[in-house]
Amino acid sequence: MHKSIAALGLASILALGVSSGALAAGEKVSVITPFLAAIATGEMIEAFKAKATEYQWTVDVVDTAGDMAAFASRVEDATTSGANAIVLVSVDPAQIQDQVDKAKAAGVPVITIDGAKNASSVLNVTSDNYVLGETMTKFLFDQIGNKGNIVRFFYSAHPGVHQRELALDAALKANPAIKQVADHYVAVPGQVDDSRAAMDAMLLANPGDGAINAVWAAWDEPGIGANLAIEAAGRKGIVIAGIDGNPQAIDLIKACGAYIGTVRQGFGEMASIAAGELNTILAGGSAKADELYAPVELITRESLGVTCP
Amino acid sequence: MTRTNLNRFGTLIAFVLLCIGFSIAAPAAFASPANVFNLVQQMATLAIVATAATLVMTISEFDLSVGFSASLAAVICFVLFGQGYDVWLAVPAALLVGIIGGAANGVLVARFGIPSFVATLALGTILSGFAFGLSGGQSLFQSVPDGFKSLARGDVFGIPVLGFWIVAVLGVAAFVLTQTEFGRRLRAIGGNAQAARLAGLPIVRDVIVTFAIAGGLSALAGLLLASRLGSVQHTMGEPLLLPAYAAVFIGTTASPTGAPTVAGTLLGVAITGVMVNGMTIVGVEPFVQKIMTGVIILVAVLLRRVGRAK
Repeated sequence: MHKSIAALGLASILALGVSSGALAAGEKVSVITPFLAAIATGEMIEAFKAKATEYQWTVDVVDTAGDMAAFASRVEDATTSGANAIVLVSVDPAQIQDQVDKAKAAGVPVITIDGAKNASSVLNVTSDNYVLGETMTKFLFDQIGNKGNIVRFFYSAHPGVHQRELALDAALKANPAIKQVADHYVAVPGQVDDSRAAMDAMLLANPGDGAINAVWAAWDEPGIGANLAIEAAGRKGIVIAGIDGNPQAIDLIKACGAYIGTVRQGFGEMASIAAGELNTILAGGSAKADELYAPVELITRESLGVTCP
Repeated sequence: MTRTNLNRFGTLIAFVLLCIGFSIAAPAAFASPANVFNLVQQMATLAIVATAATLVMTISEFDLSVGFSASLAAVICFVLFGQGYDVWLAVPAALLVGIIGGAANGVLVARFGIPSFVATLALGTILSGFAFGLSGGQSLFQSVPDGFKSLARGDVFGIPVLGFWIVAVLGVAAFVLTQTEFGRRLRAIGGNAQAARLAGLPIVRDVIVTFAIAGGLSALAGLLLASRLGSVQHTMGEPLLLPAYAAVFIGTTASPTGAPTVAGTLLGVAITGVMVNGMTIVGVEPFVQKIMTGVIILVAVLLRRVGRAK
């Protein structure tokens, strides 16, 4: 038992040692997300960290791997630990309203990237998710001639993703010749593998040519999983479109396979806008508005200049 | 200090050392009253779920549905709020569902002899399906009455409300396990089920009741978590499962016999809670946090086994 005390003590000493660098710099900014495993979230956080280096901030990144209770707790910890600002990524602050209210009451500005507007946060920088969903859906429907069968990969727990789903619902209503024959609520984290498994099952359940014409992926990673399943099954005549402009999805578009399009969110731009506004806020100023949008771009073979055989 | 005392209090001493270490590293933040307040709030739901796990482990069974029960109870409550039902109806209804789910686990284990790992995993998966269906996969945070929010927020005389829940739930559980005939029967079943059966103890009934209590406690934890956050996701309780059992296992290292106890579990919850909170405050990288938390659990349990083998 002497050893167990020593080991636990050693662990705490290690913790202090690892942390020593984090305590050294100027403004301390806590970046907290439940979804660091998602490529887009990781991209935003990396871009934010790069800008933070320019501003000479110290950034602590915390990921709670989908655990919202831990997410709330870490926001409390950041408030208590004297962070100069809290940045929440890919989450609606209303899901932890009490903690965001407390941060505001403690004078700690909260901003969200890819989140949602909130009375207790000073800024949300995002894309217009409904427009993203609308743009991708219109492109996908056009590609299948506005008729046929589609499958949907969705994740309504994310408020932005849910907006994209609402855009699909509206488009389906407006295009009765397109039927949704299956859908799958994507497991996060593990979204690519989960979506591949779901697509495997959908392909088996819809075996004939033309039984599935298109895959609507609420973001690119489920589309990438679906693409793996389609390739493995050797099925032809199915096209996939997603959202985010994930680099892997863009490679797949270039490869002339089933993946035909994605709508690029300006994740880097979102993070840069957020960091710039936060710099103003930390200097005593105010954000330009309580919500700012980064530009979006539809990426297709045509836009990439790819000619397929 | 004698070797016996070290064996008994070693885990507690380690906990104190952790607190001292973090207090030195971040004196203004970690040891502040505000952070102690936070810590109590952050540990409460885990403490209650871990108590449910402790009760079930006392009879040498496992309940893998605790997190799923917590999620379903919270979802049911918020769905009822959305339909205009009052707190006094929604909360008991959600708790009742947890108790019924737990009792169903007990029936599967005690009546049909299905291993608890399989039975509770299967039933938990069914419960998660209901939670998903009822919530539509969406985060629910509308129409939450203020009365419900006050279940787990705020303080009384500076002590967080959730602290009172910890004292009440764990206090009653500890009393039942150590001071009542029912508690002694549970320990007898956990010690040797065959001997307990031959002695004429009502094993089937006791096992069903134990799982029902665990289900009810899990549902309570889910409701308190929902009250604290003000929102519900259909998977929100699932991350509680592994930390709950980790806390119970750490707690057994503080038990003279190595059996799960409520006090030991509370210590396990406190160690895991302080580790995560302290490392976040001092800015330890997330991947290091995960590694160190795992190492702590492993070292504590492993050295306990080595110590007992000697």
